Amino acid sequence: MESLIKLILIFSLFFSPSILGKKIRKNIAFVGYYKNLFGHIHKNPSRYSISLSTIGCNHPIKVLGKKGSPTIKNDFYHVHVGPYKGYLKINDISKKRVKCYQNKYPRYFDHINPSLTEMYHWGKLYDLYNQGKSKIK
Amino acid sequence: MKIIFLILMTLIPLNFAQSAKEKEVVNFKNIRDVLKNDGLLEVDQKKKAAQNEAIKDEELKKRKLYNFPPENDFWTFFSEYWLVKNATILKWDFRKPDYGVVKAFTILLETLGFYEKKIKVLYVNTPNITHYALPSNPGEYVFIISLPFIRTMDLSKLEISLMLLEDLLRIDEKHFLENIDYKEVKKLFGTNFYGDKINEKIISDLLERFDLQIFDKGFTFKQQFAITKRIDGLLKSDQKLWNTYYLLLKKIDDLVKSNIMYQKHLKIYPSPEMQINWLSPPKKREY
Repeated sequence: MESLIKLILIFSLFFSPSILGKKIRKNIAFVGYYKNLFGHIHKNPSRYSISLSTIGCNHPIKVLGKKGSPTIKNDFYHVHVGPYKGYLKINDISKKRVKCYQNKYPRYFDHINPSLTEMYHWGKLYDLYNQGKSKIK
Repeated sequence: MKIIFLILMTLIPLNFAQSAKEKEVVNFKNIRDVLKNDGLLEVDQKKKAAQNEAIKDEELKKRKLYNFPPENDFWTFFSEYWLVKNATILKWDFRKPDYGVVKAFTILLETLGFYEKKIKVLYVNTPNITHYALPSNPGEYVFIISLPFIRTMDLSKLEISLMLLEDLLRIDEKHFLENIDYKEVKKLFGTNFYGDKINEKIISDLLERFDLQIFDKGFTFKQQFAITKRIDGLLKSDQKLWNTYYLLLKKIDDLVKSNIMYQKHLKIYPSPEMQINWLSPPKKREY
């Protein structure tokens, strides 16, 4: 009987919320912020993959991996946002808070007042853009 | 009686003395002097000034929320808003392979000396629009390319890049903005509309003018001539690029003359035939 109680105790300790929390924290490489106006958390590391959730600019993102070395797959970070674990493009995450259009001109943005469908499309737009920059060599 | 009179006479001076004392206590001048000596008045003044400043700061912060974007921060957002609004018409939400156009285009820009240009390319799955550059903030460019158009013409990366170069120059020359009437929005650029409302019609009208310019109106002969001559000047030093551009115009000319689906292209970009003429060296007169 005593050994059974011990076992239960050890088992409950192992799965206690504080330890689980520590485990999650251990898996976070860094906390970043979403850079674009709107974006999608993808189920798989592809811009065409299903959207798990739409997020807005400056949304905090837990980038998963080992501390200092995030998990990268096909130019995507493995991320944890709210209840979702998915993928976000590397270039769309900043390590510092960014100046978002919504925050720069909040009332003008309120006036534009994009609907949920428009927010979804806006996120898709950033997924589907092919982007580049010409540089001085 | 005498006794009563005496008592009264003794009480009156006492009463006077008391009221004088009272006055002394209520004398604000005395209080002010005390406060001055203690430095409390200064503290109070400082507190009031700080309070006024905090109120002013809060008011400023509140006012700042109502800033209308300046022109250099307006167009990219608005063009994207137009793309979002027209997502179903333009059909840009579809799977396609990466054609490597962005890389080829940045290389072309770098060869021609166009540096630090941020480019965004969006493929659309409709022949309604062939290629276009939307107004954007300085140093940024938003391009649309029709995938059916590229496939029908069987365009190479370099040919697409040259087409995009035309579009880039149109944006630099502000031809798009010249063609749409946006004076009402122009009045709002960089202003503050605190305590006021933005007229909803201004934004919806601008969206309609975008539609009109992109789907119907297009560019004028004068604007086309300016762009063709500019490209001629840019590419003349590189024979291969110049020839590719010349052949591209011929390809487009053939397409718009033979394929009904792309006849609208002539209206938007008049006209490939004229562009070829403008590029061709003048014929020598025979005497």
